[in-house]
Amino acid sequence: MKSISNCFNRLIIKVMMPILMVASTASYAENNQNNQPKLTPCYMEGLSDRLMCGSIAQPLSDDPSEGEIDIHFAVIPAIKPSHPDEAVLGFAGGPGQGAIDLARIFDHNLRFARETRDIVLVDQRGTGYSHQLQCESDDLKTQFAFNDVIADLQAMGAEDTQKCKAKLNIDLSNFTTPVAAKDFEAVRVALGYKGFHLYGVSYGTRIAQEYMRQFPNAVLTSTLDGVVPMQQSLAAIGGAVDGSLAALFKRCETDALCAAQYPNLANNFNSLLTRLEQQPVQTQVRHPRTNDLIDFTITKMKLYSAIRFALYGHAQRAIVPMVIEKALRGDYSPLAGMMANVDLTQSLAMGMHNAIVCGEDWPRLTTQTRAQYSKTYMGKAMIAGLDIACPILNVKAVDETFYQPLKTSTPTLLLSGGRDPATPASWAELAMVEMTNATHLVATTVTHGVGSQTCAPKIIAKFIDQQSMRDIDTTCINDANDKPFFMNINGVAVANSHSTDVANKE
Amino acid sequence: MINLLTVLFKKEVMDASRDKRSIMAGLYYAIGAPIGVCLLMSVLLQQLASPEALKINIENSDSAPGLIAHLNSRDIFASTDANERKDITLSISDDYQQKMSEGRPATVTLIADKSDDKLRKHINQVEKAIALYSSEIASLRLVSRGVDPSLMRAIVIEVHDQATPDSKGGMILGIVVLTLILALFYAAMNLAIDTSAGERERNSLSLLLSHPLHSLHIVLAKIGAITTFSMLGLMVILVVSKFSYAMVPWQQMGFSITITPAFMLFSIAICLPIALMSASLQVFVSFMAKSFKEAQSYVTMVLFIPMALSMITTYDIATDKVQWLPIAAQQFALMEFIKGNPIPIPQLLLSTVITLVLCVAFSFLSARMLKSEKVVFGL
Repeated sequence: MKSISNCFNRLIIKVMMPILMVASTASYAENNQNNQPKLTPCYMEGLSDRLMCGSIAQPLSDDPSEGEIDIHFAVIPAIKPSHPDEAVLGFAGGPGQGAIDLARIFDHNLRFARETRDIVLVDQRGTGYSHQLQCESDDLKTQFAFNDVIADLQAMGAEDTQKCKAKLNIDLSNFTTPVAAKDFEAVRVALGYKGFHLYGVSYGTRIAQEYMRQFPNAVLTSTLDGVVPMQQSLAAIGGAVDGSLAALFKRCETDALCAAQYPNLANNFNSLLTRLEQQPVQTQVRHPRTNDLIDFTITKMKLYSAIRFALYGHAQRAIVPMVIEKALRGDYSPLAGMMANVDLTQSLAMGMHNAIVCGEDWPRLTTQTRAQYSKTYMGKAMIAGLDIACPILNVKAVDETFYQPLKTSTPTLLLSGGRDPATPASWAELAMVEMTNATHLVATTVTHGVGSQTCAPKIIAKFIDQQSMRDIDTTCINDANDKPFFMNINGVAVANSHSTDVANKE
Repeated sequence: MINLLTVLFKKEVMDASRDKRSIMAGLYYAIGAPIGVCLLMSVLLQQLASPEALKINIENSDSAPGLIAHLNSRDIFASTDANERKDITLSISDDYQQKMSEGRPATVTLIADKSDDKLRKHINQVEKAIALYSSEIASLRLVSRGVDPSLMRAIVIEVHDQATPDSKGGMILGIVVLTLILALFYAAMNLAIDTSAGERERNSLSLLLSHPLHSLHIVLAKIGAITTFSMLGLMVILVVSKFSYAMVPWQQMGFSITITPAFMLFSIAICLPIALMSASLQVFVSFMAKSFKEAQSYVTMVLFIPMALSMITTYDIATDKVQWLPIAAQQFALMEFIKGNPIPIPQLLLSTVITLVLCVAFSFLSARMLKSEKVVFGL
């Protein structure tokens, strides 16, 4: 759900719209001028509990003449506020996701911590309700028909980026991680909490670490779920994608049924990619929702992206072998279904996303790291996208010290998924080199987001309670939670295996 | 006259205070009830917090490895040991694989006795787990055909629950308030019988009446003393509740029960008329009886009335009409206060007036009875 998105995807989008503050069912009262923010009841999608929403005005930059922006936040009240001066602060991923809209997921992952402490969700500047920097994306029909091979991506990407920049009309340098961290501190002070327990997911772990660096005294504990180390570039994600895909192929190989049904899966996938690289397929499929016949162009990039996003969830992973097999035989409906199911660009504020990657990840690319990351298909595509967008967006590079690993003695819990297609366990090891009080747990079968897939919510709550990992039983984190592969279009069952036996006996 | 009443009141209180053990016995309820409720709830919560793995009988499990793996992930396991497993059988049809791969509904049969209350929770758990599996597979079937599975959800219900953690306690809040109101009756029950029927049996009642006093004064003094002990019981139960309820991990059930000082003051104010009424009622009933033993039986029976009124509110039976009645209305007001909702003022006022009128009525009736020799000598 929370992901490091592919900024290349964004560049193939042609139409842009003005920035929209997304209206929700929540009622948002305008912030009054007092220091104490006014809290009004509000509700978020999928969560029936009443939250309290509010906002504070924060300076856009160091220069007061540039004005202020409203930073919105929501408090999920503790069931029994035994620790009223502490709260759990949730950081969303992306970069570009708004934390408030994800209240349901944070409430789920922090449900045990919430028993005694408030959960505070702040929309990081540029996301959600806090001056969202969004450029409208293409609708599904255009995306399906788009052919990224014949299009002049360089020119198109540049044009898109120019348009987006003009529409946003704001200096994106004010939306980087080090700047945004100060907003979270301002919210803490405004709400009167003495300390925060941090819970960051995916990119959210980067801002969590930056917050710990800037405001060490405000942090009681820190839980980092799907860790992005400060010294790691997001452009290195290609390795994680390939690793997660390889794990899927391996699992199919070792499973007798899957190996029999889908032999040579890895090779077949590669030959399918090669075939599409040489000649994209032009076909027609039914629109997944309207059922109209629409054009569908399958390129290597589109196939790879669809499979990549499917790797995030266990349910989607279960159909990957079948989707590959069907596509190889020329049946692209399963692929279309899978692509329709993953619609990440809608929920990501792409302007903010680009501010982060262009201000933090792109400036630090060297010839050496470029070569290294470009070894993977996704890494190469991502760097190509950054090279188009970043010179135009002209985000001021963050300070060199930003890339230092975080030095801290604050109790820190790092969580990694063994099959994570975004932030592999090795990244967490990298992040904790200078942490003196850190515990790293790897959940073997988990993809991205240990908190939503395992018993981790209980572990996190205990860790927050005792501010240490001592005597906490963590074995349940390794309970297998993957799903059996689909053997045919109808499910995991294999026809005739049992019933023929019965028939033979009779 | 006030002076006279004070002297009489002091006499009654002193009389009652002599028997320390009897007073303590009256207060045992006030101390024990909240602690008992808390212990019971803690045990219940512990069971809910760490539910044991559900073991059931699964027939033909080889046919549906995917389903079995899913059930295992939801803490439902197959067991061959008839002693440790619940009496639930899940039978997977022989053509499960065939039907599943053909895209027809595959059948599993759930065999259990749904009238067995202990089993019902587990049956629901199994049914829910299977329904979830079914919808997961169905969604992926649609995705595999290039159809967005969200088409299956024509309407999504977004619930905006206006409850707060303090108001979600519902039934348990009702029990908490019920224990408070019962404390008013229980704490002074012994005293009420002793000061009326008991005094008569000890022959000190006739002695008291031989003084130049109005019988109403005597009755009022007795009611005053009984009310004092009632309120003492209420204060004890409030203090004990404040500390004991705070120790129960209610939050695991998604709500909290907090006895605030404001609530304590509110309940003292609301319950004073009830205490007066209960004292006058118990005195009246005790005088009606011929002997101490008979009075005990009657008072216990009479206690059923407030208990019934209170329970009707707790279990929300005909609340619209009943909430105008005494005790029920006060109980309702206390529950609304603890939930943080607006207090139903008209109901509360009317019922308080009725409560006080009843108190006056019972007092006069008792005073009149004391003028009869039949009553005074228990003839």
